[in-house]
Amino acid sequence: MKRLLIAALLLTTPALAEGSGDPTWPCIQRKQPHLSIGQLWPGPPPDAAAAHLAQRPDIAALAQVLEQRRLPMDEAEVQIAAFAKGASAAELTALFVAVFDRIDAYRSRIMAGVARYAEKQTALSDQIEARRAEMARLSAAAAPDFDKIDAEEERLDWDVRIFTDRQAQLTYVCETPVILEQRAFALGRAIAAHLATPTPVP
Amino acid sequence: MRAFALSLTVTLAAFPAFANKVYISNEKGNDITVLDSETLEVIATFPAGNRPRGITISPDGKELYVCASDDDTVRVFETETYTETHTLPSGPDPELFVLHPSGNPLYIANEDDNLVTIVDVVTHRVLAEVPVGVEPEGMAISPDGAFVVNTSETTNMAHFIDTATSQIVANVLVDQRPRYAQFTSDGKLLFVTAEIGGTVAVVDVATKEVIHKIGFEIPGVLPEAIQPVGLKITQDGSRIYVALGPANRVAVIDGATFEVMDYLLVGQRVWQLAFTPDERFLFTTNGNSNDVSVIDVAAGEVIRSVPVGQQPWGIVVAPD
Repeated sequence: MKRLLIAALLLTTPALAEGSGDPTWPCIQRKQPHLSIGQLWPGPPPDAAAAHLAQRPDIAALAQVLEQRRLPMDEAEVQIAAFAKGASAAELTALFVAVFDRIDAYRSRIMAGVARYAEKQTALSDQIEARRAEMARLSAAAAPDFDKIDAEEERLDWDVRIFTDRQAQLTYVCETPVILEQRAFALGRAIAAHLATPTPVP
Repeated sequence: MRAFALSLTVTLAAFPAFANKVYISNEKGNDITVLDSETLEVIATFPAGNRPRGITISPDGKELYVCASDDDTVRVFETETYTETHTLPSGPDPELFVLHPSGNPLYIANEDDNLVTIVDVVTHRVLAEVPVGVEPEGMAISPDGAFVVNTSETTNMAHFIDTATSQIVANVLVDQRPRYAQFTSDGKLLFVTAEIGGTVAVVDVATKEVIHKIGFEIPGVLPEAIQPVGLKITQDGSRIYVALGPANRVAVIDGATFEVMDYLLVGQRVWQLAFTPDERFLFTTNGNSNDVSVIDVAAGEVIRSVPVGQQPWGIVVAPD
């Protein structure tokens, strides 16, 4: 069993180093620290006036509701449509700015979490290496202390198990920023659908 | 009779386009979505092996070829019944390919072993393997069938292969990670997109030299999000469309001046492009929003987004 776990460890460890070469970014997905508004919004980049309007209480409150991933997109679209009735292009743009700012800030916190996850895994990987070295040293002794070896082996087994369990969550961890970007895009598209004519980018 | 002819003309003018089937490979969904180019409705979905990416169709519209990248094979489907008729040997990890204008052979890029495999689609045999640069990716063929071009992602080159001898006759250095290549219909120019370089190289086919580089700048989009991938050129060469990956935009370029005229917001991680034969519509596959955007070419506007399978990648429209 221990052999198997160590084999699994050897197989999974390189995944930490994959991708960007950035040791705090363990994902296959390219690291993109921030979303940019032009990726999600068809019009020209919103100006300071839009950012100011985005703080209006009703707009900020609606953005807070829309941001929640538990709110299905079709329900979000109903709420956006209700807001869009009588709303100006500036107000629609401001709603998107409010949504964007919230999601991008949340996404940044998630990405910081991914970095901490990667650092913890690296530390645990180092600890596993140290335990393996210690076991090798104990086993090589002229009169091996089998109680000590067994205790060390148990600690090693636990560390490997935690490492592999955490590693199995990597796909989910890495997909979260992507899911947030999808949400921001879908909301942007739903809000932009209520603009009379999309303004082409010069 | 004349009145009849006249009314027929009017009818044709009102409905100038045929309905063509549009086939989309869904890289993660492991299937093909079929759209109707007139109604823009999904009319079928069928399984296509593991990680289908590159997709093309025979000139007679009867056979659909799909790179099943994780199966190391090209799967061939009957376009009416969607049944798989056979596979073609492709070499490992086929990603993109190009069919000779005559319909045979098929030139396949093997990403994992630095080869272009040439396969006879009638006898199902490998005719030749051409060693190219590291991580071959994009494939294009000149309209006269004289040259096949392969781009290698790591070597950053477009390799010109003489189709008569299966030998490389020229290597053109382009920007980092060249992804896709396409000739103009007159065969005079070759366009090569560079995903990391963020540019499109314009190559003079006669001299095999880069004569221009097209760069991209979108207000409100960070430069690293602009990653040129798929590219298509109108028959008359007047417009070039470039998919910009995670920028979620398609650049519209003037074919005479190489100036970018517009950046259309489509879907997330826009990847490949395909025109209807009449060039009324341009379709885009959007890998992260799991949809296809429909661009009205004349109006220069995105008119619709159609949900398809998981991670749409490749796209081909059936000929008339």
